Amino acid sequence: MVRQAATGNTVAMERLLGRAQEVAYRFSLLVCGHPEDAEDVMQDALLNTYRHVSTIKDPGAFRTWLYQTVRNACLMKRRRRVDEPAHLASLEQGGVDRDGAPASMDVADSSRSADQRLIDAVMGERLRRALATLSPGHRVIVVLRDMEGLSTREVATITGLSEANVKQRLHRARLTLRASLEAS
Amino acid sequence: MTQAVSPECRAILAGISAYLDGELETSACDAIERHCETCPSCARAVDGLRETIGLCRGAARVPIPADTRDKARARIRALLKAGK
Repeated sequence: MVRQAATGNTVAMERLLGRAQEVAYRFSLLVCGHPEDAEDVMQDALLNTYRHVSTIKDPGAFRTWLYQTVRNACLMKRRRRVDEPAHLASLEQGGVDRDGAPASMDVADSSRSADQRLIDAVMGERLRRALATLSPGHRVIVVLRDMEGLSTREVATITGLSEANVKQRLHRARLTLRASLEAS
Repeated sequence: MTQAVSPECRAILAGISAYLDGELETSACDAIERHCETCPSCARAVDGLRETIGLCRGAARVPIPADTRDKARARIRALLKAGK
């Protein structure tokens, strides 16, 4: 599909852009936890993908590029907010606060928006709440690896961490998630 | 929760994700499975993490709500039309 889109196939391009927006939507909701940002992040993903497709030399690298782009769009979106909580930087840094402890959640206590109700219907409120207790850096790894199904290598490329570090963080994140699920 | 954890259990607990992700050699998998046969605590931890990963995988692919999807499609069509 990526190769076809790159050579001007409109149907493939439409599908690819649709896929890019789905990724942007899920990432906004599950990792950033701000449904209100989803539309803007989707728009960014759309334009960036459209511009990028014609330059693609390695279709196999598209998926990683897309998640990196969406992650950056989420980060930029959050930075533009004047009232941005300081710990959001941890999405980049890997989820530890200044003291080296896991950073607290940045998920807005969004008052049960339509998007959240949808997520609850699909994944269950229990899992959504447990996911929200993870630090942003750990949450991004769980979402990419266990929900989006990316490989360790892909997650490492997207996050800029080593594969060993991704594995270590994934394990810790799963343990935290398990503890939250058991406590709920 | 303050119960002391033996070095063997600690090693097992550290390797559960690698075990469940299929990253360990057969001999290491065998060691974990043998240990869990006699250690209910580690067996529970393995089952718990397995269940957690299963929950995440089952929750994957949150669909886009219909109105958001319609807007997305409209944006795509407008972009493709403008790009022609």
